Amino acid sequence: MKHLTILILLVFLSFSGYPADKGKIEVPLRFDRYYNLAEVEEALRALNQAFPKLTKLDVVGKSEEGREIFALTINNPDTGKELDKPGVYVDGNIHGNEIQAGEVCLYYANMLLTNYGENEQITKAVDKNAHYIIPVVNVDGRYYFFEEGNTPSTNRSIRVPYDDDGDGLFDEDGPNDLDGDGNITQMRIKDPHGQWKADPEDPRVMVRVKPGEKGEYTLLGYEGIDNDGDGRLNEDAEGYLDPNRNWGSSWMPPYVQRGAGDFPLSGVGLKAIADYIAARPNIIVGYAFHNMGGMWLRAPADKSIRLDPSDIAAYDVVGNEALKMTPGYVYHASHDLYSTYGDFTTHLYFINGILGFVGELFMRDQETFRNEDDKTAATASAGRGTSTERNRELLAFNDYLTQGELYKDWEKFDHPQFGEIEIGGWVKMSSRLPHPFMLPDLVHRNASVVLHSAQHTPEIEMEVYDVKKLDGNLNRVRIRLENKNGLPAMTAHAFKTKLYEMDRLMVNGAKVVAGGKITDKYFEKVSYKEKKPEIQFLALPGYGVVEYEFLIEGKGNVTFSFESQKAKNVKTSVKL
Amino acid sequence: MLKKTIRYLALCFILAPALMSSAQSSSSGTKYHNVKEVQQMLKEIQQKNAVNTRLHTIATSPGGEPVTILEIGSSQTGVPAIFVGANFEGNIPISTEGALRLAKMLTDSASYTEGLKWYIMPNPNPDAAKSFFAGVKYGRSVNDFEINNDVDESVNEDGYDDLNGDGYITQMRVKSPDGTHLISKNDLRIMVRADAGKGERGEYNIYLEGIDNDGDGQFNEDGEGGINVGIAFPHLFPAGNKEAGLYPGQTPEVYGILRFIFDRPEIAMVYTMGSSNFCLVPPKGGRKGEANLDRIKLPGRYARMLNADENQTFTMDEVIEMVKEVVPAGMEVTPSMVAGMLGLGAVVNPLEDDLKFYSKFSVEYKEYLKAKKFSIENLDPEPAKDGSFELWAYYHLGVPSFSMNLFSAPKVKEEKNEEDNSISLEEVEKKSIEKEGELSDREKALLAWSEKEWDGNGFVEWEKFQHPDLGEVEIGGFVPYLETTPKPEHVDSLLAVQLPWLLQLTKKMPEISFAKEELTELGSGVYKLELFVENNGTLSYPIAMGQRNRQPAPLIVVLDGDFEILEGLKRTPLGSIGGNQVRKFTWLISTNKKAEISAKLESAVFGEKVKQIKIGG
Repeated sequence: MKHLTILILLVFLSFSGYPADKGKIEVPLRFDRYYNLAEVEEALRALNQAFPKLTKLDVVGKSEEGREIFALTINNPDTGKELDKPGVYVDGNIHGNEIQAGEVCLYYANMLLTNYGENEQITKAVDKNAHYIIPVVNVDGRYYFFEEGNTPSTNRSIRVPYDDDGDGLFDEDGPNDLDGDGNITQMRIKDPHGQWKADPEDPRVMVRVKPGEKGEYTLLGYEGIDNDGDGRLNEDAEGYLDPNRNWGSSWMPPYVQRGAGDFPLSGVGLKAIADYIAARPNIIVGYAFHNMGGMWLRAPADKSIRLDPSDIAAYDVVGNEALKMTPGYVYHASHDLYSTYGDFTTHLYFINGILGFVGELFMRDQETFRNEDDKTAATASAGRGTSTERNRELLAFNDYLTQGELYKDWEKFDHPQFGEIEIGGWVKMSSRLPHPFMLPDLVHRNASVVLHSAQHTPEIEMEVYDVKKLDGNLNRVRIRLENKNGLPAMTAHAFKTKLYEMDRLMVNGAKVVAGGKITDKYFEKVSYKEKKPEIQFLALPGYGVVEYEFLIEGKGNVTFSFESQKAKNVKTSVKL
Repeated sequence: MLKKTIRYLALCFILAPALMSSAQSSSSGTKYHNVKEVQQMLKEIQQKNAVNTRLHTIATSPGGEPVTILEIGSSQTGVPAIFVGANFEGNIPISTEGALRLAKMLTDSASYTEGLKWYIMPNPNPDAAKSFFAGVKYGRSVNDFEINNDVDESVNEDGYDDLNGDGYITQMRVKSPDGTHLISKNDLRIMVRADAGKGERGEYNIYLEGIDNDGDGQFNEDGEGGINVGIAFPHLFPAGNKEAGLYPGQTPEVYGILRFIFDRPEIAMVYTMGSSNFCLVPPKGGRKGEANLDRIKLPGRYARMLNADENQTFTMDEVIEMVKEVVPAGMEVTPSMVAGMLGLGAVVNPLEDDLKFYSKFSVEYKEYLKAKKFSIENLDPEPAKDGSFELWAYYHLGVPSFSMNLFSAPKVKEEKNEEDNSISLEEVEKKSIEKEGELSDREKALLAWSEKEWDGNGFVEWEKFQHPDLGEVEIGGFVPYLETTPKPEHVDSLLAVQLPWLLQLTKKMPEISFAKEELTELGSGVYKLELFVENNGTLSYPIAMGQRNRQPAPLIVVLDGDFEILEGLKRTPLGSIGGNQVRKFTWLISTNKKAEISAKLESAVFGEKVKQIKIGG
């Protein structure tokens, strides 16, 4: 806390790439900047006030520290009630440090609202769907990421204290922003027996010495002091409850899955969001944005779980197209990255029948001055073991294109425990976040993917295509249901496991003597339903076509209605 | 059809029955207390003992009933606690009575509340518990959480129907060419499954009493509720079973219980009163799918990191040694850490070291019961269910978890032939053929119990009934609650014998304290400090499962004073201390003053104990 004032000053000073006075938050929102938590809320209010008819701003619940979690609903009441339309859910910043995920959500809302009535595709998506947007899930994390010293990866956790080092104290030894610059960078100490030396070409880069070579430095790790005097640095930082390991489906306790939390949805904000989603059974597709690596990940996150093939096909409709909008991304099942228990997308799929995606934003590969075909193995691979050559390139990018904002030069510091050391390295706004000059491109491409899947939400057409009078009072009516889009009206998994009220085709107005699905229209084979033929349960896949036959007794108006939680209901009638 | 039969079989276990309307109150004044009465009793106990008790309402059930926990010993801090939960499935009323009685025993005498705190929850599933006292009885275990079990267009539209109006849901048997069951040759009341392999053909299909209210061809597939609180906890959560909810803790009772317990790290032991009995029968093992810690295979990247052969297997101890080589010197490497790193997954069988105490205590308990002339020749208690509270307490909290079922019907004694020991193989075969069609121990016991205690009314004799969907059927069978619920006049004596064992078990709990300290001057103001920490209890702290999951709060020794620690830590985690064991911890310190060392034993479970040690006295 004591660094807060200095820090706020420094945050403003250090971002000289855009004006220190970022100005009033107005619609249309700007995306050449990052919004802190208070500004995200202000931006949501601004959107809500600018579009009072199309939007609703709700408080979903409160976080561990009592901060409010906001959801913006976009729905055009003139085209129907929210719950009657296929729902599209999008959230971000579940990990507190992954802030640009929040900007993608804000951009999506801004894009839909400011282009409504102007752009045909967008107007249609606003009219057809209900959009639920939670830009910041981990509100405490985002707050601290801006307000305190951080690495690019800290303040990921939910604020539930955890005794990481098993000494009976909670969160007592996190990193410390020793130089008060708002960043946790690295510490190095001069050491003739050290294993590191400065790169002769760019002395900011640390290079490991060759066997037998004399070193100059020992790397001490992230900026900090041994607060609890146990001879270890920064080993019990804030949390740790990983908000993407705390969901209800296939949850495992912390000794099996690190960061799981004590029990499913023990995070109060997460529980509130789970309840929020459950109260909106119209949601068919969901996005959770994260910030590392350029990936579209689908359920499941645990490789022991199988998905129904027809649901994978539905995922692929969106996933494969998404790759065209976000060049360089990969698309695969979440467990191909690594297996996790209790993640959000698995919960969406197994608990809510929602096709959930993770969008891993930002590829650091884009911080380059090479063309794609010019990349060598040494420069192309990002990830943990970054090569010296790649480090020089990243620093050059920092120098030329961000005017030095992403890297803090090594500077002397008098450390209370180590004596004279140097502090320096990549700042918190680097490494996992695009510089604001690259942000507009990132948010637009990724929001376009969400829009694209909104366009793919189910749209059912129903047609009575054949009515034939049989003997006496009996009519044979054939009816066709067609899903015009790529996402199912109900996932195959939800249907097979009886997850929620099944989609159904209902006949009203006359007695149905027999009825069932036409399994072969050329040989006229019908699979009759033995009981209650007037109600037929079905799950209509993406682009699916199904036909039913009913033998109906009597005369008059007969109504056929398709009822679904996730697709817009349709009705048709025929006079017999 | 098959589904129905399975449903029937499943229900057979929990069902059973009895003239409860008359059973609820009796001449002795004992009775089963309904949900409102239980609430009232808790309030009264609290008011009578206002200084030392507190009530916590931790959730409201979907049916609007409060879930309440009585804290006894609330004026104490820094003492371990025992959590007692009863009747999670809502259909075993004697367990609620047990919890209430235990609360009374504890408030009547202070001997088990000194240095020990209790949390007692008699009715975690009030919605289900209510149905024992009202309406038609069927052993309901689900709460009022709205679930559309058959996911059709309506909710709760096809529950059981008391067709013969006797107040119970029993069974229906209907003659059918594709029947699965036969009437037992040994007892005309009992239905047995036909065995085609023995040339039998089924004659009857069996359903639970009811009609197809919604006309979908299924019977009773979407009744009232709900989620069964007793199977909705996170260990081995029965995903896919609608009565468990969609995820552990979806229903507020369970979520509230989980929160309450994790907020109280002093809870060091858990008792459950319900259908299993870990006091008599240790938790069962033999479940597949668990990693074998004696044959650990190292995934490629870890094998490379540890310079190990990825084609070989290693024991846990071997892996620990390898990991020690690559972590900073002095860092403690535990099996739990290795298991987590290698992704060895969840423990699903009781750990060997823990089974030792379960078995030992079970032997002691049997002796205890024998001394009290309490017969244990009863039907076996059920194994704990997947998703149950008692399993969760052991596997996730990592504390000793004991359960009791408080009542089961006596077994019918077989007359044994002394010569049986020497019969030939052919004779054995002959005997086993004779046994075919014989009733199960359970059926025999329940029929006998019904005769003895219920004047035969524990079994509804099969009677014809004209069924709207099935035509002529017969309705009959064991009445609900027969198997689990004795007549109220027996409750006192059952509790009086069994409950004190739970009090005796508290004497097994770990007791941690300093045993001895030694300070040796090595010269020039450098001293070796040795602290001996003992566990005077029988149980280790933590138990093996607690060591594996690291959930129980650590024991820490904190040193304070005007000296410098040369070797060792100011705060030293002690790891585990076995029952009746002493462990020595050593520090090297330096001071030139006549200082005092303050050694504090710190624990969220056992509180604080301080020892002052004079230097150079």
